[in-house]
Amino acid sequence: MVPYSARRQLVRRAVGFGLWLGLFLAAAALCDLSPEILKQGLGKAPQFAREFFPPLWAAADEMVEPLLSTLALASAASLLGMLLAFPVGLAAAANIVPVWLRLPVRILLGAERALPEILQLLFFVVAFGLGPFSGMCALAFSSIGMLGKLVGDAIEDADDKVLESLKATGASFWQVIRYGLLPQVLPSLAANALFRFDVNVRSSVVLGAIGAGGIGAEIARSMGMLQYNRATMAVLGSLILIYAAETVSGQLRRRLLEDGRS
Amino acid sequence: MLVVDALTKTVPGGRRVLDGVSFSVGAGEFVGILGSSGAGKSLTLRAISGLTELDSGEVRFACEDGTMCCVTRARGKALRAARRQMGVIFQGLHLVKRMTVIENVMMGRLGFIHPLRSWLYGFTDAEAREALEALDQVSMKPLAGRITGSLSGGEMQRVAIARAIFQRPRLYLADEPIAALDPRNAEAILNLLQPLSRHNPVVSTFHQPELTRRFCTRVVGIREGRVVYDGSPELSRSELAGIYGIREAQAV
Ligand SMILES: Nc1ncnc2c1ncn2[C@@H]1O[C@H](COP(=O)(O)OP(=O)(O)OP(=O)(O)O)[C@@H](O)[C@H]1O
Ligand SMILES: [Mg+2]
Repeated sequence: MVPYSARRQLVRRAVGFGLWLGLFLAAAALCDLSPEILKQGLGKAPQFAREFFPPLWAAADEMVEPLLSTLALASAASLLGMLLAFPVGLAAAANIVPVWLRLPVRILLGAERALPEILQLLFFVVAFGLGPFSGMCALAFSSIGMLGKLVGDAIEDADDKVLESLKATGASFWQVIRYGLLPQVLPSLAANALFRFDVNVRSSVVLGAIGAGGIGAEIARSMGMLQYNRATMAVLGSLILIYAAETVSGQLRRRLLEDGRS
Repeated sequence: MLVVDALTKTVPGGRRVLDGVSFSVGAGEFVGILGSSGAGKSLTLRAISGLTELDSGEVRFACEDGTMCCVTRARGKALRAARRQMGVIFQGLHLVKRMTVIENVMMGRLGFIHPLRSWLYGFTDAEAREALEALDQVSMKPLAGRITGSLSGGEMQRVAIARAIFQRPRLYLADEPIAALDPRNAEAILNLLQPLSRHNPVVSTFHQPELTRRFCTRVVGIREGRVVYDGSPELSRSELAGIYGIREAQAV
């Protein structure tokens, strides 16, 4: 007997596709997706294109400042997150601190990562008001959530023999941390922080639109004032910024990890 | 100089891994510790530098001011002060691989420098010159600037010795300093340790009775956590057999 049947294949594929279609239609209906809305929206497409294009080139120089503000926000958040991730990572490492400290720190870090940045921003806006500072706090916090966990893992993987050999010279706890542990985890921390910087640049554009200032706010404002081609200009600026951040971060990261290997 | 007094240690599970280990070390001695695998040699060395908890027993060590201080009961500052005076020669694998050779050597003196300084800039140029001299003693001066991770096992072992020398301790402790080395390098290391021991005693574990016979001034034999031999490095066949728990005919 041949362990294959073309008809069975056909039925199986049909059932699979039918399942997907059923789920999609059900979900789409819940999203108010209806042929009318689709037709209405698509009908507007040509007008839409006319309003958004071409970008308002004349406004290009006005984009520089909000772009720099967004870049500054992302950089400050990444650098602050990198610095604070080290002590937080220490508190999250089983070979450095007792369980009663490690466990709550790990749980807090997990909760931190689970909380979307946008919600975090809303909390900081309540405290510090609208603006880049709240945005920086939100991104710094979420950077700590990720980097702190990674540093904690790296510290737990670090070579305990190295630490013990320094302890045996009479070095103090913090000297052992500085000379035995930091060199072991710093390259990976820097590489992760660079990755996080890339993420933070994207996020700071989004957060800008909901209250953290910078280029995101510029996009939102232009849209609100129906200056669509100005908004396109701002989006173009953000694209360039994001692309540049990704490239620089990737290059530096590659170099850093190559150094570590030699 | 050093008194090891009735060390006992029981590990979880109830096994006695140290069962009343006692011996003492005086000036100018090069003490070789022999014993089969698992006998408790490394543990004894760790106990001397206060790196392991004991059930009972004491390690007493002549401190800088000449008084005998008890390492076993010391904590915090006092313990660190005692550790500063003991140069532990770990296997080379304990070095910080991402840092340079000379930085690894200078770390031997971390215990002596102010914590604030160790965060600000670390070591001074004068200390670096001294570290270079220590490296010269182990013929590693030309490699001072290399990243430690790129060295061979024997080279790392010599860096570990340079670190201990640079620390300027009053006692050297070495755990199998020649374990990963070829016979020529092993002799070179022993030829380094032997003169050091004339100024500051050396206590070192070995697996080669023929080498302790040639280089050491005394041998301590440990078997199942107990000292079963303490005396001349010229061991008889039956004495060797006693340390390693084998029949006389098999002993070298
Ligand atoms: N933390 C620990 N928990 C449980 N057992 C331990 C612990 N530390 C050491 N031991 C046991 O104590 C015994 C002595 O260990 P030690 O490392 O001193 O042996 P050794 O004489 O140095 O052997 P080798 O020649 O193989 O290095 C071993 O059986 C080891 O398994
Ligand atoms: Mg051992």
